[in-house]
Amino acid sequence: MEELNQVLLRKEVRVGADLDVWLEHGGGEGLKAALQDPTAIIPQIKEAGLRGLGGSGFPTYKKWEFVAGNHGEEKYLICNGNEDEPGTFKDCILLEETPHQVIEGAVIAALATGINQIVFYINPDQEASIASMREAVEQWKASELNQAVTKAIGEEMGYRVMASSGHYIGGEETAAIESVEGKFPFPRGRPPFPAESGVHGKPTLVNNIETLSNVSHILRNGAEWYRNLGIDDTYGTKIYCLSGDVLYPGAYELPMGTRLADLIETYGGGMLQGKFLKAVFTGGPSNTILTPKHLDVHLDFDSVAERRSALGTGAMIVVSEGTGIVKRVTEYVNFFAASSCGQCPPCKTGTYYISLLLSKIDTGQGSRADLDSLINLCKILPNSGRCHLINGAVKVLDSSLYHFMDEYKQAIK
Amino acid sequence: MSITYQEALNNYQPLERREPAVETLSTEELLQQYHPDHYKDAATTLQVGPNRGDQCHHQLADMLQADARIDEADLAGARTRQTDVLVIGGGGAGCAAALVAAKAGARVTLATKLRLGDSNTVMAEGGIQASVEKDDTPQAHYQDTLKAGHFHADKELVASMASDAPEVIRWLIQQGMQFDLDKFGDIMLRRAGGTTADRIAYYRDYTGLEMMRVLRESVKNSNIEVLDYSPAVELMSNQSGRCAGAVISNLKECTFELIKANAVIIATGGIGRMHLNDFPTSNHFGATGDGLVLAYRLGAKMLDLDSFQYHPTGLAHPHHLAGSLITEGIRSAGTYLLNSEGNRFVDELKTRDHVSSAILKECTEGRGIQVGDQATGVWLDTPGLELRNPGLIAQKFPKLVQLGKKCDIDLTTTPLLVYPTLHYQNGGVQIDKNGLSTVPGLYCVGEVSGGIHGRNRIMGNALLDIICFGRRAGAHAAECNRRPGHKKISIEHLSSLRRNLTMAKMPMEQKGPMLFPECAKFEDDSDYDGLHKNRNRKISTT
Repeated sequence: MEELNQVLLRKEVRVGADLDVWLEHGGGEGLKAALQDPTAIIPQIKEAGLRGLGGSGFPTYKKWEFVAGNHGEEKYLICNGNEDEPGTFKDCILLEETPHQVIEGAVIAALATGINQIVFYINPDQEASIASMREAVEQWKASELNQAVTKAIGEEMGYRVMASSGHYIGGEETAAIESVEGKFPFPRGRPPFPAESGVHGKPTLVNNIETLSNVSHILRNGAEWYRNLGIDDTYGTKIYCLSGDVLYPGAYELPMGTRLADLIETYGGGMLQGKFLKAVFTGGPSNTILTPKHLDVHLDFDSVAERRSALGTGAMIVVSEGTGIVKRVTEYVNFFAASSCGQCPPCKTGTYYISLLLSKIDTGQGSRADLDSLINLCKILPNSGRCHLINGAVKVLDSSLYHFMDEYKQAIK
Repeated sequence: MSITYQEALNNYQPLERREPAVETLSTEELLQQYHPDHYKDAATTLQVGPNRGDQCHHQLADMLQADARIDEADLAGARTRQTDVLVIGGGGAGCAAALVAAKAGARVTLATKLRLGDSNTVMAEGGIQASVEKDDTPQAHYQDTLKAGHFHADKELVASMASDAPEVIRWLIQQGMQFDLDKFGDIMLRRAGGTTADRIAYYRDYTGLEMMRVLRESVKNSNIEVLDYSPAVELMSNQSGRCAGAVISNLKECTFELIKANAVIIATGGIGRMHLNDFPTSNHFGATGDGLVLAYRLGAKMLDLDSFQYHPTGLAHPHHLAGSLITEGIRSAGTYLLNSEGNRFVDELKTRDHVSSAILKECTEGRGIQVGDQATGVWLDTPGLELRNPGLIAQKFPKLVQLGKKCDIDLTTTPLLVYPTLHYQNGGVQIDKNGLSTVPGLYCVGEVSGGIHGRNRIMGNALLDIICFGRRAGAHAAECNRRPGHKKISIEHLSSLRRNLTMAKMPMEQKGPMLFPECAKFEDDSDYDGLHKNRNRKISTT
């Protein structure tokens, strides 16, 4: 298998909770570079063009600048490993197999933004990840590098590894903050933004595990190096979580902008049993559909968005001919309906109602009126909640209506 | 060479006394040389799944490594039900599990391939083991079971079963089951082959039928939802691989249905109808090993897949009743086995594998009795028993007398021709003491489970096993109500099954589970599951 441009999942860095081995393979160098001039970190991240890899694609440096600009006795970094979307399984690999890569990235982020409290926030189902992180953090605390960090910021950096509540909604920025405060993960309204008032009212940065994992490599090898990893105009690498009806599912770290066809054919070993590709669900909060005519799409944030879809977390759930799209969408919407925290009425009743209508159509009981209702709901529901959960439910529905309207029409009476 | 049936019958004389057998081979040697588990070309190595690399009978291996019957496409528009505990299988184990789960407050759905009670349980004749006599102990029961299983059984399971046994009898009596009682009203007991005490409680020679009668009534009188003619064709799992329900094929309506559940209890019984090594079987029509296949696909680990029990006394003649079981109780009562020369050749109260192998040895070495081209056998000397204990057969073995009538044989004067019959699957899904398999949320109880009996089961432990572990699984599964619900339920494990089969270069021509035995597949359609055929019929009549 080709291992071109691998960074995060290289064999040498997948060493588990073993600080010495991590340092032997170039670990720590990024942090040392960062310690020399913490004010140069953000410009370097900006130059590298690192974006939020948890699904948003938001430029990382912007978030960091907001947080750096807000002052407080305590400032928090939440390393978000709640990862609970269907088809996504990259953060757990990073946490379990490369915990020091995550920690080093987090510490550099903290240095850049003046943060002194780091929380590793991990899905409770990923017991191995939690155990690995706990061990790694203990190793880290006792290391010389950590002493250097203490010297640089003038106080002990606080580390905490916590299991999240296990709710899908707990992965949302503000919900994660509530969780860290020990409450039920209800998303908060904005403003104030977390960068101003997050955990206990203190400035808080929330970053995805994959995003943070890239940081130490950028500091070590330079922004130029990172920019050159991507294909064409894109930067860096992306971990694609390939699952569904392919021969070799798995997490593949490839240059950002790899073509969908390459991912499926070269890395996934082609379709299982030689079936035809019907659709690809791009998992994550922006769960949308790509179809065979999109096989040539470059999998980066902008190219995928041009095709009425979204890259999201990089999850690619491949479904073959023969799979009922209505049934699949019903399952996803059920997932969102069950995950809704119930705080905002449009989301609470909206997801439930979509799920109800879809189940009705899927079991052959639906009518034209039900389908029309769904189409209307897709127009009125988006952005009606505090967080993006309702948008997620609508997006997958809307996307399937756009690409597979025929199938819906066939399913109604 | 063997002599013919008629010749042997002419030579036969009922005698009150016969000399005990002199056995030349040790049990181990006898099994090595004659037990069907050790046939040379019977075994193969599993290529995929959790037991990859293990030995397994090739017919069973074909099923475990078969392609699934359904695809995502089949589920489009399928009706969905929701329940707390789904029990698959309507025999003794399934009913016991369902009853206990329902009593614990769970919503229970019981899906059965045929009708409630269509099972091997009703065929169990001998009785149920429990150390209820005052000088007997669960400890002795435990040791007998381990020893008979060649010390291969899971000790924790055996200990659970032996210590539960008296409570199981009490529970059965509470349900309304009757046992044969002595004049003081105490439960009468008899001794099983290979045990050290009289430990078998029984009701005539149809203990299982009586048990099923009360269990079925209890289920009917409970709020358990029973789905007849609804074989499970696939299990479903949630996002973390926990078992979360099953796809059933509704044979009456020719549709698939999804049943989502917090816990699934598989109680589908054994594999007799696979006719391993071409042996006849004592098993009922539905014993096609469906549960094994379903559980294996979802990743449940199996035990002892190469170990089966051949009951020594299956009927060998007439041909149309071949394989029908003759209770071990008749040997417990003192009936001898005789070869064509009229001699005893084995201690009839040795364990079943030993006695079966001894019969096979006699037949191989030409001291069997031949009927036609295929059937051979040895005599079951009921007339001798009649001489020693006049009237006992008629009084204690009405079902056997009935079988004699069907064969047109008077048991008191004419012996029956018997030959080993495929009776029981010793191995199966690996479980813990609550019946939980290695897959979270998936319980397996009854014959489908393994590890309880080691490599050989003693009489009366099967009925005990199904109730004991059925109850345990039911109680434990009902606890699942307290878990949060599943986020996503799918049959995605089939993708990984097909992936593994493809990569192991398996043929994937056969589809499993088998659902119905070969003899029921009238059409030249290996894919027959009742649906395709009926669907076609539906179309042609409209």
